[in-house]
Amino acid sequence: MKKLINKPENYVTEMLEGLYLAHPDLITYTENDLHCLVSVNKKEGKVGIATGGGSGHLPLFLGYVGKGLLDGCSVGDVFQSPSAEQMLAVTKEIDSGAGVLYIYGNYNGDIFNFDMATEMADFEENIRVESVVAGEDVASAGPSAPGERNSRRGVAGIVFVFKCAGAAANAMLDLDNVKRVAQKAADNVRTMGVALTPCTVPRVGKPGFEIAADEMEIGMGIHGETGIRRGKIETADEIAVEMLDKIVNDLPYNKGDEVAVLINGLGATTLDEQYIVTRKVDEYLKDKGIKVHHYYVGEYVTSLEMAGLSISLLKLDEELKQYLDAPAQTPFFVQL
Amino acid sequence: MDRLYFIQLLDELQKVMCENREYLIDLDRVVGDGDLGLTMSDGFLAAYHAVKDSPETDIGKMLYTAGKAMSTAVPSTMGTLMASGLMQTGKVLKGKTEIEHEDIATFFMAYEEGVMTRGKAKVGEKTFLDGLDPAVEAMKASFAAGETLSVVADKAVNAAQEGYENTATMLAVHGRAATRGEASRSLKDPGAAVALLMMRAFQKTV
Repeated sequence: MKKLINKPENYVTEMLEGLYLAHPDLITYTENDLHCLVSVNKKEGKVGIATGGGSGHLPLFLGYVGKGLLDGCSVGDVFQSPSAEQMLAVTKEIDSGAGVLYIYGNYNGDIFNFDMATEMADFEENIRVESVVAGEDVASAGPSAPGERNSRRGVAGIVFVFKCAGAAANAMLDLDNVKRVAQKAADNVRTMGVALTPCTVPRVGKPGFEIAADEMEIGMGIHGETGIRRGKIETADEIAVEMLDKIVNDLPYNKGDEVAVLINGLGATTLDEQYIVTRKVDEYLKDKGIKVHHYYVGEYVTSLEMAGLSISLLKLDEELKQYLDAPAQTPFFVQL
Repeated sequence: MDRLYFIQLLDELQKVMCENREYLIDLDRVVGDGDLGLTMSDGFLAAYHAVKDSPETDIGKMLYTAGKAMSTAVPSTMGTLMASGLMQTGKVLKGKTEIEHEDIATFFMAYEEGVMTRGKAKVGEKTFLDGLDPAVEAMKASFAAGETLSVVADKAVNAAQEGYENTATMLAVHGRAATRGEASRSLKDPGAAVALLMMRAFQKTV
């Protein structure tokens, strides 16, 4: 393991300490627990939005708390859910009477704890909480039938859900409508990733999986979950086309549709490489007659120091476009 | 019997989980990520410590507190499921300061309900429930037949043992084991082993 750290067991707390020191104008924590992060900017009567999950994915989740986006967030150890108690602490702090919406990724540990926090908020605090669970990794499972539980993992596309819901809440929509907007974004986003190298959880000290120097794994999850194909590494263009075929045919995204695109680095892949892929994505979508409204390129949801990237598409309508374009300011996301 | 019975039960639960920590780690390493032994020993220990010196006389409130302490100590998937079970027993037994023997069945029924609701799993899907459910059913039948508490406990342990063995015939639909499909069918479920250990702890309180 080669990391710029002190003691592995202090990895998360020391990261959090640095984060608060760097952004005192935007974020703080509640109940004396560094893992319970809240925005310093409060807007009375606004629906509160909280997220949470394991550490190791910065700028997810902490980086999206601030103006026009999320109001709070709890994080656990690397790749581990925070506790329901920590989620409840954040919920209490960000509720201003209009209720709270949880937006989080489709993982059992997170679901169980957010469900428990929802019950605690209702039972102990009389706060109304609703949830939208993001699961859009097309490589992780097939599409779910109507009424069936979505079994896809939540990955980078959740950032689009945050952004649309955050802007809707900022526009003072009520809880049901903020949830509706979040759900619409979640329903219209699809993602797929590729991994080139593994990542190492600090307290484990060894890579989570092995992959040969000349290999890639298409469809791998952001905690190293098995993908759909492992093979010799190919060119950026070939990899982009393989992923886009799967994404575009899944929703599907059709000729004439308008989309936002997120090209997301997983931690160790250069921006140069991300822009090389962006160029091919643009060519591919133009060829299909799909119009790109906006590109987001960079690290939005990482997997420690994993190399690789993911591509996400969000199909837009006028409402989602308006919320996506609205201004926001957080430690990692600034849009004027 | 009063709250002291449940403090004793929580004590036996934490003891049995701590004694079997390595056993659970080894079982889980084959199908999961190997942290089950740590989750169960840390979780039940936290639950016991949260209430062992508590002056709370309301059994339900005490058990809810124990469950919350567990959920905070071990927020992993299995930890949260076990905590949900315990919190549900608290909700069901809320307001009681005294219990009858039959309320032990109520306790385990509520525990099963809490786990089932949280995990959205059913009996027969190769989980903890496949160890606990047969034990709860055996307990109810034995109480209904008017048998002594020690007979009830023996039958519950035997039913949990049989339920655990039976998981070797089931196809996993939850967790990491599910991603391996048929390849994991012949493996017994570590969650069901936890249910069996819980019944052994119950037997020690009799």
